[in-house]
Amino acid sequence: MLSVRDLSFSYTRHGEELFDGLTHEFTPGKVTAVTGPSGRGKSTLLYVLGLMLTPSRGEVILDHDRVSHASDTSRSRVRAARIGFVFQDAALDPSRVVLDSVIEPALYAGWSARRARRRGRELLEEMGVAARADHKPGEISGGQAQRVAVCRALVTDPAVVLADEPTGNLDRGNAEGVLAALTRATDHGRDGEAKGRTVIIATHDPFVLEHADEVLAL
Amino acid sequence: MRFASLLREGLSTAWANKVPTALVALLVAIMCATTLATVGRTAAAEQQVADRLDAAGSRLLVVTDTRNGELIGPAVVQQTRALSVTERAVGVQIPVDVVNKVIGAGGTRVPAWTVDGDLSEVLTLTAGRWPGPGEALVSAQAQQTLGLDDPVGAVQLASTTQVGDFSVVGAFEPREPFGQYAAGLVVAAAPDAISDSLYVVVTDSSVASAAQSAVIGLVAPPEFDSISIQSPVALAELQAEVAADLGTFGRTLLLGVLGAGALLVAIVVLADVLVRRKDLGRRRALGATRGAIVAMVIARTLLPALLGAGIGVGAGLWAADRFAAIPPWQFTTGTAILAVLAAVASAVLPALYAATRDPVRVLRTP
Repeated sequence: MLSVRDLSFSYTRHGEELFDGLTHEFTPGKVTAVTGPSGRGKSTLLYVLGLMLTPSRGEVILDHDRVSHASDTSRSRVRAARIGFVFQDAALDPSRVVLDSVIEPALYAGWSARRARRRGRELLEEMGVAARADHKPGEISGGQAQRVAVCRALVTDPAVVLADEPTGNLDRGNAEGVLAALTRATDHGRDGEAKGRTVIIATHDPFVLEHADEVLAL
Repeated sequence: MRFASLLREGLSTAWANKVPTALVALLVAIMCATTLATVGRTAAAEQQVADRLDAAGSRLLVVTDTRNGELIGPAVVQQTRALSVTERAVGVQIPVDVVNKVIGAGGTRVPAWTVDGDLSEVLTLTAGRWPGPGEALVSAQAQQTLGLDDPVGAVQLASTTQVGDFSVVGAFEPREPFGQYAAGLVVAAAPDAISDSLYVVVTDSSVASAAQSAVIGLVAPPEFDSISIQSPVALAELQAEVAADLGTFGRTLLLGVLGAGALLVAIVVLADVLVRRKDLGRRRALGATRGAIVAMVIARTLLPALLGAGIGVGAGLWAADRFAAIPPWQFTTGTAILAVLAAVASAVLPALYAATRDPVRVLRTP
């Protein structure tokens, strides 16, 4: 369960406060779309939830742990093992093959390479891009790259998946494929947990908003 | 992150970014090769000086009884041999000329040294038997000069005022530092023979001064000018100074080469880190700790550095061999290790810089 309590964030000490004391619980097993006008902090909220930014006020709570103010090393470990990220531009390593990109978080989480590769191939199979496992990102389409990014976000079987404008650079067909993949990700109970996985998408894409289970407007 | 995964990531990153990898390997190779070809030569010279310092010739102390005061008797020779700083000691009389007794006074003259002490300390027996008192061994050169078919026979004094002869019972080769005996014969002294000079080979050049004092104490000259001393002390000190100067020069040069090389490696690694800031930011976002980022940057520097060290050592030894100055293996190994350590140490600051970048700022930079 991911929640925020009295959350505010500012990039500078006396700068504009974002979120204005936001308190919210994200429902496990649901896709939550975070939306709002540009500059209201949709992506910033994802980075705060993903423990890459520390809130200026309030806290992020993950499975009853107040993770937002933990040490940098602890937050990195939480990020590797319990939070998956999907970036707008997929952000795959251009010099490595797709499978290597997929298993990155698992390696940071301390998995063996063999175990990570096995899990990575399973996910690529599920997402329909297994045939591209040994291709470099430059050799696959944008839609395939984004589905690979979803695989990477899921490889450690995290409690939460955060996606920042995942369909922003895609045509409708590919956007549908990626959204379907993210929606399917909520169904998988994490480690047998019945409630499923929390998926949060920062977006202003009406198509995504239309298909999200919940919408958080900033 | 597991160590094996870390090494694999370092190797993959090094392979994927071939230009900085090649530059790091090249710089480390140049560091090693330059060090071995320059400092290595100095080290080899230092080693040669040390070897010469250790050679018996540099450890020879000669005390000569200048007034024929019967100062160097058998007891003094034995006591000198017993000193802890003494490796070998013999008493030697002034050489006399001898000729082949069969030919007589008209024969070719060769020198004969009468030696008091263990003859095995000055020569190696190559034929015949060890001589008794008054018997002689002949060198191959002297045997030929005297016209002896075998190292057996007799020689007589060439002097017109003295009469005497010696049986030749075998042949010898002189040991260092008694190489001059190759020109003649060595005669075993009578048990009560008085020597004119005392030849002492000390155990180490560093004890030459102490040995000199001890031997003078045993010889006990009544007057300061009753003896003359040919001492290795000054030579030992000079050689030690030369070795020290060479060592200082070598260390300064080594530090210069390693320092300059490490600086260049640091620039290459920093440039690589700056070019790959998006890649490193992505890794941080995906859960790599700062420690893992530092370790990955160091591992990606270490692997080409090891390769470069191997290449550099090979090239440096080849160059040193061209100058016939192969440095000692300890120096070669130490150079390779130092070059790799310098490269790794120079990667630490760029690695820390990479690890402390804000991943959000990096990822959001278009």
